[in-house]
Amino acid sequence: MSYRWLEHTAEVELEIEASSEEGVFVAALRALAQLVGDDRRAERVSRELKVDARERAVLLLEWLDELVYLVETEGLVAEDVERIELSDGGLVAIVRCHRGDPRHLVKGATYHHLAFERSGAGFRATVVLDV
Amino acid sequence: MSEVAQRGVRGFRQVDEVVWELPAAARGDMRVPARVFADRELIGQIAADRSLEQLQNVATLPGITGAALAMPDIHQGYGFPVGGVAATELPDGVVSPGGVGYDINCGVRLLALPITAGELGGRAEALVHEISRRVPVGTGHGSALKLTGAALDRLLVRGPGILLAEHGIGTAEDIEHTESRGCLGGADPAAVSERARARGADQLGTLGSGNHFLELQRVAKVLDSETATAFGLRPEQVTVLIHSGSRGFGHQVCTDYVRLMDAVLARYRISLPDRQLACAPLSSPEGRRYLAAMACAANFAWGNRAVLAHRVRDSIARILGQKIATGTHQVYDVAHNVAKLEHHLGRTLCVHRKGATRAFPAGSTEIPGGYRTAGQPVFIPGSMGTSSFVLVGRQGAMEYSFGTTCHGAGRRMSRTGARREITGAELRRRLEAQGIVVRCPSNRGLAEEAPFAYKDVERVVAVVEQAGLAGRVAQLVPLGVVKG
Repeated sequence: MSYRWLEHTAEVELEIEASSEEGVFVAALRALAQLVGDDRRAERVSRELKVDARERAVLLLEWLDELVYLVETEGLVAEDVERIELSDGGLVAIVRCHRGDPRHLVKGATYHHLAFERSGAGFRATVVLDV
Repeated sequence: MSEVAQRGVRGFRQVDEVVWELPAAARGDMRVPARVFADRELIGQIAADRSLEQLQNVATLPGITGAALAMPDIHQGYGFPVGGVAATELPDGVVSPGGVGYDINCGVRLLALPITAGELGGRAEALVHEISRRVPVGTGHGSALKLTGAALDRLLVRGPGILLAEHGIGTAEDIEHTESRGCLGGADPAAVSERARARGADQLGTLGSGNHFLELQRVAKVLDSETATAFGLRPEQVTVLIHSGSRGFGHQVCTDYVRLMDAVLARYRISLPDRQLACAPLSSPEGRRYLAAMACAANFAWGNRAVLAHRVRDSIARILGQKIATGTHQVYDVAHNVAKLEHHLGRTLCVHRKGATRAFPAGSTEIPGGYRTAGQPVFIPGSMGTSSFVLVGRQGAMEYSFGTTCHGAGRRMSRTGARREITGAELRRRLEAQGIVVRCPSNRGLAEEAPFAYKDVERVVAVVEQAGLAGRVAQLVPLGVVKG
């Protein structure tokens, strides 16, 4: 799985490629951890997250917003995924986090250029984040 | 006519020195023309990203009237371009949360100190440092004023007036000198989610990150002395410009309602070229509920800037003395991400301003009594290290732009592009070499806001002046900056 940041004049656009749908969600989590850029590695905790959406692209949006919420309300930066289970209507995951003091804020994940689609043998997704 | 004007830029034809237009017929789904205020240099920069395509998408919104407008600082956003104006007509025109953006009522407040830069002397660094100690930056927490439950509800409904009444924050003149007196009507806390409350709970009086900043400045040039005098500004005066918004509270309100409206598009038979333009009729339950939640976020943002101003005054008191803090007056506070119901050309319209500033001319009853013969103050922050401008609303704004002008310099380079050009450490060194005190905990964040990542603010304000939307009153230059 991989991710990269595409050029955007004001915001940031994330492009993800992964061999599985689960891989897209894991890559999105790692990309967000890199973006919020925290160098303090305090208390480590695990959290169970549950997100619902029938459409995969919207589920990706909801997933990112859930991670943003965790950062903003508890200072928890999710770094990796212990377990992730996708269903038709959503996902349940256990994520490993550290409590830090992240410097960079994500305001929200947008529908602009939002995509989640099959690409060759795997999946490709794009999402623009307001920063 | 020039070759560029004849050929056009991406189909936009030059109709005036500073006006470019694409007719509604250019695309099957456009309901009104798309119009850009720009000179030839700026239209070239604007055409380099997807701003113009996004503006055309805005022109497809149900109920949009006049034209989809772009200010000269327009740049690519998501859904709406930043620097865009869309007026929709009641009752069945739409309201679009994306047309306001995530940072509802992001805006700018200008404070003027009763001293000159010469009188401030060598204390600029100490003052900037003290402000940086008192104002939390970054993702956000650490507010000394945490409002929850009914106390938060009162702020959401009444704005900073409640902070003055219950916490002694600000002055009656501050409130008088705030757009809409710091209070949008129709705010209903029941329309706000628990998540929005949780995100905003600890963020009142915090700056945020990205392009938010707090700048210590001096009035380098007075360009319209009569209006400057009306605004209480004089040459060499020290000022503080505060740029922040509704923080996580507003971000969550936008998130919640874009999601809601995306889900009901089919019900209202609305078809859009971009899902982030998600909208609902102003008369629908979803439209009315969004306006009620947005008003809460707007009032929260004015509360946020009121607490930030309070912290600045505390810093001034500590470094320069209580007398100077007490003599520091608020020139005005303007919103540049908001949707408001206003009367234009005999009709009630919902004017979406995303990265655009209200600029009402002299005579408007929306303007404080003391400014009514001059016009509404508007503040245009430049990029870091360059000038900012105080403008005044002009009659042309009412005729051509639903009472609106630009909001800043406008980005022209991506954040990664800016970081490729300069490191935060090098930029810090260059700013300090210009005598500008810098307090920013993030080198990455600093580099992303490098001055060359923005358009030329002097060119931007010259366009809105030439177009008759606003007039230049004063030029401010930075002495120090605090950034998230």
